[in-house]
Amino acid sequence: MYSAFGIITPTVRNIWVEGLESYRPIGAFSFMGRYRVIDFPVSNMSNSGIDRIQVYLRKKPLALIDHLGSGRHYNINSKRGKLQVLVSENSADHDIYNTDVATYLENMEQIQKMYHPYVVIAPGYMIYTQDYSELLQAHTNSGADITLLYHSVDNAKDEFLNCNVLDLNKQKGVLSIERNPGTAKSRNISMDTYVMKTDLFIELLHKAKELSSMYTLADIINISCNELDVRGVAHRGYFATMTDFKSVYNANIAMIDHKTARSLFSEDWPIYTKTNDSCPTQYFETADVKTSIVSNGSLIEGTVEHSVIGRGCKIRKGAIVKNSIILSGAEIGEGVHVENQLVDKRAKLIHAKEVIAEEGNPGYIRRDDTL
Amino acid sequence: MKQNNMLAMILAGGRGSRLHDLTNKVAKPAVSYGGKYRIIDFPLSNCANSGIDVVGVLTQYESILLNSYVAAGRRWGLDAKDSGVYVLPPREKADENLNVYRGTADAISQNIDFIDSYSPEYVLILSGDHIYKMNYAKMLAEHNANKADATIAVIEVPMKEASRFGIMNTDEDGRIVEFEEKPEKPKSNLASMGIYIFNWKLLRKMLVADMKSSESSHDFGKDIIPSLLNDGRILHAYKFKGYWKDVGTIDSLWEANMDLLTADNELNLNDRSWKIYTEDITTLPHYVGANADIKNAYITQGCLVDGEVKNSVLFTGASVGAGAKVIDSVLMPGVVVEEGAVINRALIADGIRIGKDAVVGSADSENIELVAKRVKGVE
Repeated sequence: MYSAFGIITPTVRNIWVEGLESYRPIGAFSFMGRYRVIDFPVSNMSNSGIDRIQVYLRKKPLALIDHLGSGRHYNINSKRGKLQVLVSENSADHDIYNTDVATYLENMEQIQKMYHPYVVIAPGYMIYTQDYSELLQAHTNSGADITLLYHSVDNAKDEFLNCNVLDLNKQKGVLSIERNPGTAKSRNISMDTYVMKTDLFIELLHKAKELSSMYTLADIINISCNELDVRGVAHRGYFATMTDFKSVYNANIAMIDHKTARSLFSEDWPIYTKTNDSCPTQYFETADVKTSIVSNGSLIEGTVEHSVIGRGCKIRKGAIVKNSIILSGAEIGEGVHVENQLVDKRAKLIHAKEVIAEEGNPGYIRRDDTL
Repeated sequence: MKQNNMLAMILAGGRGSRLHDLTNKVAKPAVSYGGKYRIIDFPLSNCANSGIDVVGVLTQYESILLNSYVAAGRRWGLDAKDSGVYVLPPREKADENLNVYRGTADAISQNIDFIDSYSPEYVLILSGDHIYKMNYAKMLAEHNANKADATIAVIEVPMKEASRFGIMNTDEDGRIVEFEEKPEKPKSNLASMGIYIFNWKLLRKMLVADMKSSESSHDFGKDIIPSLLNDGRILHAYKFKGYWKDVGTIDSLWEANMDLLTADNELNLNDRSWKIYTEDITTLPHYVGANADIKNAYITQGCLVDGEVKNSVLFTGASVGAGAKVIDSVLMPGVVVEEGAVINRALIADGIRIGKDAVVGSADSENIELVAKRVKGVE
């Protein structure tokens, strides 16, 4: 698909994931122990034939730069294609100014360089698969100015609270894009995924800057809904946001059900990631593992139930891990009971024997902490 | 070539016919091992970890898979500017007929032009079908300290097994005084590992002479090493300590896999300072179901386990259905064990399906059963 280039967006100011995001951008969050969130938008673009991809980051880019590398593992041609990481250097002290628009404007030169007539914009903080070449086709067929992707949900009252919702007319024309007020169950959640002409994208960025320094891309599209033909396309298949701590926990846990996982992963739509060259996982005589996802390089002597185990974890003898997500390199010591927790990378749970949070309100153990 | 001026040549042409059906379509170095690896990943990763940049791989028998596998040098990081893995099958040359490699030495002789193009000071000769971790840079340092013409890596084997190997008899300084191929009455237990460092200029001269000799079998062990000793050259033994296995048979391949199940096993594939690199396959992490019971097992990505797995190694994408039992067995990549099937002391070849409630192998068999054909389920 030589007619479009891709942009993977940074999070905007209303999104903050307690704990995890202190260490890395959402795109670098672990998913199912093996993936990082950014693998989804990048693989979606690569599989759709988009081989010029710009990843925008605001803070703590290290983990993502390391993970993305040259992009070769995403099946992107190393001569014709390019995976660029663009970091915002002028992060303002006041977070309200740190919008996606500000980040794009700062890198305008790189956007203007693109010779592709269209741009596909996708978030680096949501999990879904989508063939963008189909979306572009729908966009050009309809003659719309902007086509955006949405997902209809029936739990918008309690979840997706920091996402945007769409108001659509019967012809799927977008009337407004607003922050989810949490007042109704059934909503069309904006997937922050847009297709438009590159020229229009640049025009909108300039317009946003003139109107308000606080405007995001969603804001400026919202106020342009009357003048422009903005249309929604419904997304089918698995969809999860990584926009607050509970949603990160829930999306990982949801994948334990193999049927749910199969609604996200399919043979003909590979999700690529960076290999860590870990050896297989070793189970010992005392291991007792049920209903779980286990990544490579781990040593398991204890009990694991309904959990996601990342790469290179150690679950010691007599340890019990239940309804938990253990990120790579963490250790659960002998006899330690962990329940309803997200244990960040390399944390060691050794001395405290009971690390239990209540169901439905998962706890968080910080990276590199020893408990 | 910047790093240590040593180029490696891996001999990977052998069939490994005692592996029967496993090597019908692939050469022995391409046989799967340890859940996610192929045997040749070991010498290639050792090269990468030892700072060797250029590796030639000499292939011959059923080499399609092996050629394309090793040509992707970036799997082992051997793809920097002056680095690469080069596949070297026999080829037609202007002044002679197409010749197969007639022996280990001949395979190198026929590629003198390739080695010359890098003008290395040393050439490291390796076998593509051994499982071990070794730092060749240390061996080179010893080669240089001894001012040797050639250095041969050796490993101590039990004296009663020594007559199965090529044995090096050395003086107290480790200089080799005699080489005996499979001696009836071995004088030492230092077995050659088939790993040699030569000064290239000297080896080149020897190979050119060897090519012309009508009596030579063109083999390193039988011809090159003995004539170097005859010439009074300085040959040293480099003593290797650690895990080393030549998996020649189904039983020994099974055993090498079982070795990984012991805690703190000698091979230790979990050592982050000496990783073994391999093909990066796009699969999910492995899934463990509600009915699973896994004890003493080595399981890799892409597997689906809902049955009982005891004392077994599961390779990429293998699946074990509910109620199935896999005991003391090895399931190669993509093996499917359907519900209720029972597998005991068996090695199931790549992609084989074991049907519902089928029974394969037995707990008290003398040898490991190789299953290379689909086993139908009980109707």
